[in-house]
Amino acid sequence: MQRSVIKLLLLAVALTSPLCTTTLRAKPLNVPVVYYKLPNGLKVVISEDHIAPVVTVSVYYNVGFRVEPKGRTGFAHLFEHMMFQGSANVKKFEHAKFVEANGGSLNGHTDFDYTNYYETLPSNRVETALWLESDRMRSLDISDENLKNQQNVVSEEVRVNVLNQPYQFFEWIELWKNAFTNWNNSHNGYGELDEINAATIEDVRNFFKTYYAPNNAVLTIVGDVDVAEVKKMVEKHFATVPSQTAPPKADLTEPAQIKEKRISQSDKLANLPALATGYHVPPQNSPDFPAMALLVQILQGDDSSRWYQRLVKEKELTLDLTGGLNYFGNEFDYTGPMIMTTRTTYKPGHTADEVLKEMDAVTADVVAKGITDKELADAKVRFRSNFYSQLESSFGKAHLLSVLALFRDDPNQINSLLTPFENVTAAQVKAAAAKYLVAGNRTVIDRVPETKTQTGQ
Amino acid sequence: MKLLLSITLLIVSSLPVFAQQKTPPPPGPARPLNLPKLTEKKLANGLTVVLAPLPNVPKLSAMLTFRAATNATDRAAHPGIAQIAAGLANEGTDTRSSKQIKEELRSIGGSLSLRSDADQTNLTATALSEFSTRMFELISDVTQHPSFPETELKLAQENTIQQIKAGRADPGFLANERFQKAVFGNHPYGFVVPDEKSINALTRDDLRAFVAKYYIPNAAHLIVVGDIDVEKTFAEIEKAFGSWKGGTLPPDENPPVPVREKRQIYFVNRPGSIQSVIYIGNASIPRSHADYFSIRTADTIYGGSFYSRLTRNIRESKGYTYSPFSSSNTQAKTGSFLAGAFVRNEVTGPTLLEILYELDRMRVLPVTDEELKAAKEFSTGNFSVELASQIGLAGRINTVYTYGLSKTFIDDFRPKIEALTTADIQKAAAKYFDTYHAAIVIVGDWEKVKDQVTPFGEVTMYDAEGNVVKS
Repeated sequence: MQRSVIKLLLLAVALTSPLCTTTLRAKPLNVPVVYYKLPNGLKVVISEDHIAPVVTVSVYYNVGFRVEPKGRTGFAHLFEHMMFQGSANVKKFEHAKFVEANGGSLNGHTDFDYTNYYETLPSNRVETALWLESDRMRSLDISDENLKNQQNVVSEEVRVNVLNQPYQFFEWIELWKNAFTNWNNSHNGYGELDEINAATIEDVRNFFKTYYAPNNAVLTIVGDVDVAEVKKMVEKHFATVPSQTAPPKADLTEPAQIKEKRISQSDKLANLPALATGYHVPPQNSPDFPAMALLVQILQGDDSSRWYQRLVKEKELTLDLTGGLNYFGNEFDYTGPMIMTTRTTYKPGHTADEVLKEMDAVTADVVAKGITDKELADAKVRFRSNFYSQLESSFGKAHLLSVLALFRDDPNQINSLLTPFENVTAAQVKAAAAKYLVAGNRTVIDRVPETKTQTGQ
Repeated sequence: MKLLLSITLLIVSSLPVFAQQKTPPPPGPARPLNLPKLTEKKLANGLTVVLAPLPNVPKLSAMLTFRAATNATDRAAHPGIAQIAAGLANEGTDTRSSKQIKEELRSIGGSLSLRSDADQTNLTATALSEFSTRMFELISDVTQHPSFPETELKLAQENTIQQIKAGRADPGFLANERFQKAVFGNHPYGFVVPDEKSINALTRDDLRAFVAKYYIPNAAHLIVVGDIDVEKTFAEIEKAFGSWKGGTLPPDENPPVPVREKRQIYFVNRPGSIQSVIYIGNASIPRSHADYFSIRTADTIYGGSFYSRLTRNIRESKGYTYSPFSSSNTQAKTGSFLAGAFVRNEVTGPTLLEILYELDRMRVLPVTDEELKAAKEFSTGNFSVELASQIGLAGRINTVYTYGLSKTFIDDFRPKIEALTTADIQKAAAKYFDTYHAAIVIVGDWEKVKDQVTPFGEVTMYDAEGNVVKS
């Protein structure tokens, strides 16, 4: 009986995927997921994968830069830096020392709605990473001297990535400032220098107490480990970290945009003009969301996409086309309101209106005639392929599992995430274009090089 | 003292578990490496094929490499030809338009791009493994039958000129360009991007002739990693590439690297800059040189890892910068070692001082045993992580064939790193971290920082276009 079931399954696999053979091939996607909560509220996700002797340990905190206090733009990110400044048993910056001396790499990242910390290292060092993460969750050590030091470091980060660069990230910072009305959504998450430097040690302490508690976090372990052994280690290092009062729920509501917003800016450092657009997209739980995600793919997902072909190839108006549904990440790793962004550098001698006119002609065509069956099928293949790429590394897998646990309390969804996208119809894509790609729903920034006054040599 | 410490530890560990452990837990037993098995085969036309199953996701990755360098033999007649050819190969073939190529890639969930560097032109492609046959067919088509349509060539010429113009607003681009020129001079490695005239002079016939000469199977290797079955994949490759005709590679040129006689500052003036970009370095060794492991490890300790000396000093202690770095870049003919940082104008001089001090400290004093042990773990551990990704493993195998390294390079990596001594590190630093003959490149606002810069050496000043200007 059992035998024939197995045989049937094999047959099914062989039929749907004729190139599959029996030797050493990837199995249909089935990520093993163990999910539970410690009594202190810490969510724990463990996923075994023995393909390489490597493990990723990550902690995701349910706090991003949207919820940082007014007058303190850039604070969530500054705080992320403070998490490397030492804790009860780990001296300043020694976190990096312990991870690297154990053969690993590490980083942290502050995003719209989460802040993460992670280490990827040889799998027999998994407990070192757990110990390090628990120590800073329990007992972050904060000093004036270290705060001042990191204010300097973060100021240099803002200078190198924003202020001393042409365009200055305008397709993120300036677009968000203008597209959103709720300060939580609209403010500059990288931070204004004076506000970064105004942060006090009290700010750091309060933020830590409010947001950096086990009941506001997900611990994820992915890789070459044994679930039972790792569970014991997690218990040992995290069970006694005290929980805190749940943080207040931030207001991220955003009134619907009615009228188009157009902004012109000049750029002191850029040599070429550039254009950015942002359209509000439906929330992730909206029935329109999967169709919208595929529409983004069809308009600007790759070099075959409609906008790229029109602007760069056919009309030869612009040099490049970048952007997507979520500026920093994917369809799953945020919770608040989002805009689909597009950024394109256009050629001198042309105008933003010319570029917009062509973009609008493309969307008008989708609204009027819809998309072809082949476009839809290809967009789904592309979406699936991109999804698999995210799952290739232990960190990529840990990232998806973490955000699914953090925002949906259900990391098991990783194995069914593609389904709603696979089920999208061409009619739904057409309807999404008609509903969301309207001028009243967008913000446009035209950024042109500042006219340099001619001075004598 | 030692005894006391261990007693304390004993007491702590016998307490019930409510306090956090004070010291890092010891590592568990080492886990098996599970390295993918490599299979090397050769087609009758001479194409070397290396296959490595790594079924972590149902995709595969391929790298096809030619000896068509950015500054290949034709560089004098056609500067930039390798770059333009690489950029255009997937923009049209005898049977497919640019758009058809992009649509085919979308249908197979794939990507395909070519780029040329100082030694090679490298094609990287990926696809869902169920579409491997179509991926190989596409690779075969764009490398054997690129047609360089006139319209695509014209567009590429126009866009490349504009992209270079855009790049000249980016201080990182300017620093890199000036550093390559300062260190390698007229050696082919000193070439970064072609000028407008050379770009516009390229014709379709030039490109076709270039590709016919350099994109040949007997001077190429194809690495395939991913969700593959070795025999079946090899059969697919044979079918796609078997009829490709071999050729004769033109002789390579390798003029001597200019010898630097003294330390020299190359200042690229960028009025209005609120930071100085600092690059300090010199020529080093080719990839196949025996000092590869010692210079690589010296780099890890100096500035090539997060807990490096340079980061601890100018970031964590002094707060001058966000991302100080160093890197050892070794290529076929020679290489370079480079340290650098992006810093606010006010600390330009102090940063130069510290970068040079830390370089000299590596040359004069041995690193500690603890530093060396940590650097070894860092190198071998991160090597395992690199080999766990399809592109990472393919890239690593590619270096073995591009630079003619030992076929056992991957297996030998750990023992070679483990064998290094603190004396080896100091010897490498003394030789290659040569502050007295270093090229110092700074991109910044001359008026704002000149007083901080001039104490460090003689200055030659450039504008963003690369012209020498009066300071």
